[in-house]
Amino acid sequence: MLKGIGNLVLKELKELMRDPKILLGMVLMPLLMFPLMGTIIGASMEATKEKLAEMHVLVWDKDCGSYAKNFTEYLRSYGIRVHEVDVSKLSEAVALMPDYNATLLIEIPNGFSENVSRVIEGNTTVSAKVEVYGVFSGSGMFEEVGVSMVDALVESYNRQKAPNPVGVEKNTIVKGEILEGIDPGTVSGLMMAQSITMPLTIMMLLTFAMQIAATSVAMEKEEKTLETLLTLPIGRFTILAGKLAGSTIVAAVGALAYLVGFQYYMSSFTGMIPAEGVDLAALGLVPSMLGYVLIGISLFVSLLSALALAIILSAFAENVRSAQSLIGFVYPLIFLPSFLLMYMDISMLPLSLQILILAIPYSHPILASKAVIMGNLSTAVLSIIYVSAFTVVILYAAAKLFATEKILTVKLRMKKLKIKWKRKASTES
Amino acid sequence: MDYAVRVEELRKVFGDVQALNGLSFSVDKGEIFGLIGPNGAGKTTALRIVSTLLLPTSGKVEVFGLDVVEQPEEVRKVLTYLPEEAGAYPNLSGREYLEFMAKFKARDKHELKEFVEEAAVISGLGERLKDKVKTYSKGMKRRLLVARALMTKPRLAVLDEPTSGLDVLHSYHVREIIKRYVKKHEVTVLLSSHNMLEVEYLCDRVALLNKGRIIAEGAPEELKEKFESANLEEVFAKVVKIA
Ligand SMILES: Nc1ncnc2c1ncn2[C@@H]1O[C@H](COP(=O)(O)OP(=O)(O)OP(=O)(O)O)[C@@H](O)[C@H]1O
Ligand SMILES: [Mg+2]
Repeated sequence: MLKGIGNLVLKELKELMRDPKILLGMVLMPLLMFPLMGTIIGASMEATKEKLAEMHVLVWDKDCGSYAKNFTEYLRSYGIRVHEVDVSKLSEAVALMPDYNATLLIEIPNGFSENVSRVIEGNTTVSAKVEVYGVFSGSGMFEEVGVSMVDALVESYNRQKAPNPVGVEKNTIVKGEILEGIDPGTVSGLMMAQSITMPLTIMMLLTFAMQIAATSVAMEKEEKTLETLLTLPIGRFTILAGKLAGSTIVAAVGALAYLVGFQYYMSSFTGMIPAEGVDLAALGLVPSMLGYVLIGISLFVSLLSALALAIILSAFAENVRSAQSLIGFVYPLIFLPSFLLMYMDISMLPLSLQILILAIPYSHPILASKAVIMGNLSTAVLSIIYVSAFTVVILYAAAKLFATEKILTVKLRMKKLKIKWKRKASTES
Repeated sequence: MDYAVRVEELRKVFGDVQALNGLSFSVDKGEIFGLIGPNGAGKTTALRIVSTLLLPTSGKVEVFGLDVVEQPEEVRKVLTYLPEEAGAYPNLSGREYLEFMAKFKARDKHELKEFVEEAAVISGLGERLKDKVKTYSKGMKRRLLVARALMTKPRLAVLDEPTSGLDVLHSYHVREIIKRYVKKHEVTVLLSSHNMLEVEYLCDRVALLNKGRIIAEGAPEELKEKFESANLEEVFAKVVKIA
């Protein structure tokens, strides 16, 4: 029935597997990519754990009774760095937090010890409350780990003493503002959706744009139109600029669509969950107009550098298929930061990884967006400057390539390289 | 006298391959000059260097006195190049392709229209120019590209195997056009071909290339006389054997 299929499949395999670019892209890449991702995520979890171990907690003990002291000691016994502060107002305590590098503030109210002892003696079931204030920094998935840890510690403290003598009231601090009765988990849950969607969308946009640019050059080669184009009375840089502009327009439409979608997405949260009173816009967690402009610029320069890089790479390919597999080599540089920054903030990573992420230009639209949301416009500007510099370098290289005969002959060099390898291999064996 | 093309001691090395090995020839203004030679002789390489696509390893090439290495942009203004293997943008219609190409040379709308009308005549594609290039046969595509190269009446047309893939009638048609163009519009033509009949009929002078250098040169009549052959095919066979 399928007579000859074996022969056909054999031909397909030979044809595909003998293209070194496909082999590298399809086989080697995943083999490298996943262990690398694993290692990096593992390292990041480790870093998060370390960060937690060094978590600084401010305790404002208004009660000063024996159970209050006992509770503070209990926290200390778990290795948490507790700093006791003596202030008269909550805002003063919050203001002190940065001095201690603290992300949590625990307020032990007046009458705490008395309340606890009454519960223990069985005179009441109304537990004594501690007020926990967690700082929301928009850092990533493990944002509210600090608060949940206090939750867990209170739980185990309760188990030691009696049924529920202590309860936790959660509050959030955003950009120095205190939001009473709002769980940092809720805020971070809301932000979470965005912190996953954004890197994912940027990732799709960048890879899509690179595909377009690489295809446009490879098509000229595949359809044999490049030679004619290069003998026309127009500057070589003009040809390159034309290619870039074409792909940029398509990509800019993409970036715009992204921004509109993102804006809509963000605004769809405003006024949501009114019962809890969480309104991201009111919390200042929605970018300002200037913020959106900065996000747009950051995205645009990153796109431009990705496009120029795709054009350079596709010059090495003789057809669309191999151009696609060549730009596949850049994808890890796009995927890695996207996935990493989905889970955590760059500040939580080990220094070496931080440097790596900062060096990759494709991390910057994500970093800039996060910075803009947290109100660090200057960080976003710095990031734009870095990516622009990178883009200029890549553009220069692309211009050089177009100015010489290399755009036509460069692939043959690769063939020669292969022959050399083969010769070397055969002389060695 | 000034030459249209002057090639002196041209060498081109690709890695281990010596594609051109001291090639010298010159093409007079208004003449049709043919490069012939076996596969891999270096014809395409020579034409690509003249057309500023490749850089010579050594030697000198001038087009109307313009150095192809020093002034490639000036050279590109005076010539058109028809590659041996060329295509057109598959999703453009034939007419759109011609308009796209003509816009680079036309000085105004009027001239643009003139170029495209000219190309319509040369290609003989008629109504099919409205169709997308991807629906064309190989020969139709070739005719479109030949028309593209000639429509702007360049001072020099470099044509690498202009009639390859064309049927007898269309080859004949293209040859007539080339011949007429040279007379009427003072176009100089540098071409390569494997078709000895064509070369004999078209070319004022031919150069026989082998292994990157010229082994015989002259008017077809002269060559036939010199090598006591009935036609160029025989000359070709004899000369290549000797070399
Ligand atoms: N880009 C390139 N890289 C490496 N070698 C090349 C390249 N272009 C041509 N060559 C080599 O240079 C030599 C001359 O090739 P060229 O294409 O000029 O021959 P040709 O005379 O046009 O042949 P044909 O009649 O088959 O078209 C050949 O040996 C070829 O393999
Ligand atoms: Mg050739």
